[in-house]
Amino acid sequence: MPDTSEARPLVSFEGVTKHYGTVAAVHAMDLDIFAGEFLALMGPSGCGKTTSLRMLAGLEEPTEGEIRLDGRRINEIDSADRDTPMVWQSLALFPFLNVRQNVEFGLKMRKIPPRDRQQRAMNWLDRLEIADLAERDINQLSGGQRQRVALARSLVTEPRILLLDEPLSALDANLVVKMQGVLSRLQKELGITFVYVTHSQSEAFAMSDRVVIMSQGRIEQIGSPKTIYRNPTSRFVADFVGSNNIFSGTVSKEGATLEVNTPVGCFSCSPDSDEQTFSMGSTLNMVVSADLVQISLTTPETANQVRCRFISEEFVGSIVTVFAELENGADFKVQVRQRDLADLGLKAGAVFYASWKATDVHLISESA
Amino acid sequence: MTRLSPQNLLLRGYVVLVFVFVFTPIITSFVFSVNSDRFPTIPLGHFTTHWYETIFSDPDIWEAFQVSALVSVSVAILATFIGFCTAYTDYRYNFTGKALYLSLALLPPTIPLVIMGLAMLALLARINMSGQIHSIVVSHVVLCAPFAMAVVRMRLAQINPDLEPAAWNLGASPWRAMREVIIPFCRPAIASAFCLTAAVSFDEFAVAWFVSGLNKTVPVVILEILQGNTDPQINAIGSIVFAISMSLVVIAQLIFFRKTSAPTTTGI
Amino acid sequence: MPIVIWQLVFFVFPLIFLVVISFWLVKNYRMVPGLDTVNWTKMYSKGYFWDTYWRTLAYAMIATITTTILAFPCSFALAFKVSATLRRWALFFLIVPFFTSYLVRIYSWQIFLNDNGIFNRMFDYIGLGPFHLLNNFFGTLVGYLTLCLPLAVVLQLISLANVDRNLIEAAHNLGCGRLKTVFLVIVPLAKIGIILGAAFTFILSFGDFVSPYYLGGSKPPTLSILIIDTTKSGQQWPRAAVVAVTMIITLLTIMFASVSAAYRKKP
Repeated sequence: MPDTSEARPLVSFEGVTKHYGTVAAVHAMDLDIFAGEFLALMGPSGCGKTTSLRMLAGLEEPTEGEIRLDGRRINEIDSADRDTPMVWQSLALFPFLNVRQNVEFGLKMRKIPPRDRQQRAMNWLDRLEIADLAERDINQLSGGQRQRVALARSLVTEPRILLLDEPLSALDANLVVKMQGVLSRLQKELGITFVYVTHSQSEAFAMSDRVVIMSQGRIEQIGSPKTIYRNPTSRFVADFVGSNNIFSGTVSKEGATLEVNTPVGCFSCSPDSDEQTFSMGSTLNMVVSADLVQISLTTPETANQVRCRFISEEFVGSIVTVFAELENGADFKVQVRQRDLADLGLKAGAVFYASWKATDVHLISESA
Repeated sequence: MTRLSPQNLLLRGYVVLVFVFVFTPIITSFVFSVNSDRFPTIPLGHFTTHWYETIFSDPDIWEAFQVSALVSVSVAILATFIGFCTAYTDYRYNFTGKALYLSLALLPPTIPLVIMGLAMLALLARINMSGQIHSIVVSHVVLCAPFAMAVVRMRLAQINPDLEPAAWNLGASPWRAMREVIIPFCRPAIASAFCLTAAVSFDEFAVAWFVSGLNKTVPVVILEILQGNTDPQINAIGSIVFAISMSLVVIAQLIFFRKTSAPTTTGI
Repeated sequence: MPIVIWQLVFFVFPLIFLVVISFWLVKNYRMVPGLDTVNWTKMYSKGYFWDTYWRTLAYAMIATITTTILAFPCSFALAFKVSATLRRWALFFLIVPFFTSYLVRIYSWQIFLNDNGIFNRMFDYIGLGPFHLLNNFFGTLVGYLTLCLPLAVVLQLISLANVDRNLIEAAHNLGCGRLKTVFLVIVPLAKIGIILGAAFTFILSFGDFVSPYYLGGSKPPTLSILIIDTTKSGQQWPRAAVVAVTMIITLLTIMFASVSAAYRKKP
């Protein structure tokens, strides 16, 4: 993971806004992207992540603000003259060219002579382990093979930055995992910057060094996957990422350990750091991650506890998500190991207790 | 799925009847072109190639075929080119007045040919362009371009919209992208449009009659012969004309539907 | 694209020019520019012009109604009663004659419809006739059908084939008889194709001169024949222009009305 603290960014967005008519798809965005990092742009549909990517590629022009590559403003530069190849969601492979010709395309545009083109294309096909498909018609390839062709085509010109627009969204689940590995490995080997747009949390977290969470044209939070997961800085991020239970409440006791009054009870929690201070009576959001909750059939000893009624469970493998209802009707989620759940033998409507440690609570101020 | 009930049989029989109605005149022409009788009727005479020999030895008719060929090919090239540009403009750009622009582009087939003929004649005569081969070409291009536009536009509707931007993204200028992506993709449609416009031009008689003066195309010659008496040569000429235009249309359709049924978008 | 401007120029300009010359005069067989409505007043005051106008309109109406009705069972059968492959082939073969010589096909019909022609010979054989099938409106109608039937079938077929089968099944499910379903459900859903087919039939038959000339005996004349006569023999281009412009106005009105009717959304 590159050191992002001192280096000058490779790409920077400065106050970039994009309007379509009266709607702002992207609003006053500031973002620095550093050389060699794997950056994910993540968010729900319509959050502006794809628009941002397209602006970087030169396919859309910002209404306001500047985009800089290596410190130089590139707003007016045509897509063809930036070196920002993109891997498309639909892959956009040319159906009238075979695999090798597709890969050579970028080199052909740069007027590289045929023999060199062919050699470089074959090198890349080799690297992506599809050299034997070179002369094939692309309509005969499987989804995973087409992916690799699209990758080779974008990387053959050896750019410094590669843009990816939800490239795995059309693949089968098992292929997705495999391709994630390929992309990760490739990025580390090449040492170039990948900017990856997705709406899938698992993809973003699995591969990236930093994640940018976007919503409605604005950046909500930037950080490493772990930071975002454990320390969301806004209610939106807490809702969108991970599996969190969020309670809003007012501070009823200040100090190193706070007491917060919520509709389902009074809980104690400790702020994450000395910088977070909450005064008496201020409102905040208490975030309890579902995987930090213990469940039991008897009243637990921990101070922070709630009584829940079991509704259903969702089995995703070794971890099960339990959906429950609190006394005031609010939803509550717990993630437990399948084995532990089996031991409890819960049935629909059964009552159990959920508890968590004060130090496991994450606090977000209400305004965020 | 469809039962052989009496109503279904009736309906299918009806379809056959319609096809018989549509194709009878064509088949008749072929049949009587090799029939010996001067006045075509039943019972048939004996088989002969006499009429074909007559027309092949007539210099006027040869000349007409040459003119027709020249005109059709020129028209096909120009109309396909214009049709392609119109279709691409429609595909790529959105601008105010686009609806008006499109309706004008597609309007020609709705104006009766007689009127078009008169209008073109009046205009061209005024600027002393009438009676030449290029006057026919110009008039026909106006008529045929909408067909070319429709064919190319149908093909463009099948393209993955990411293909063109992908080419730009990989370093192609807009012109290069057109050359390397759009045109190769549209090749079957272009070929098809070429054949189709050639066929339309080849058969078109009304405007050609008004505008051609002494440079007659084959349909004009037919028209003139028709104005005289019944002449069995018409069947022979007609059969040749049918053979040519039907082949062109069949080829046009085959190219379009064979080449465009393969998957055209990739990745999804 | 600027190249497309040529297209518009060579199409729109001649038509505008036509309107212009309708105001010109003819002196010594040559046209003289001017702004005189004499051509218009002369034409519109002539009885035979209006006779011809209404006659042509009536012919076109009859042709439209006949063609639409005759085309419907065929397009219906092709849309619902045959396999998809057969349908595609049918479409393929229907398109072919549309692009081949209309003239020669009309001539071929003469062979059939003549007093000594094939039909009458056959009727004679079984002791009927002779029927006068040529040089009258029947002949003209046959000609119009030859011109328009394939197109009407194709246009109706495209619309019918796109009718949502579920809706038909729902109608049956709710107790609607088969024939009633056709008129109450299918026809409204395929409205666009049917109306467009009728509109094009009208336009083609309104403007055609070949059928009335060669199969209809050319007397009494239609508007298109009038234009030819006025132009070729009389050299009265401005007068012909008056007829032409009147035709265009009529056609545009009908076209506009049918397209609005076809695409109108029910309130």
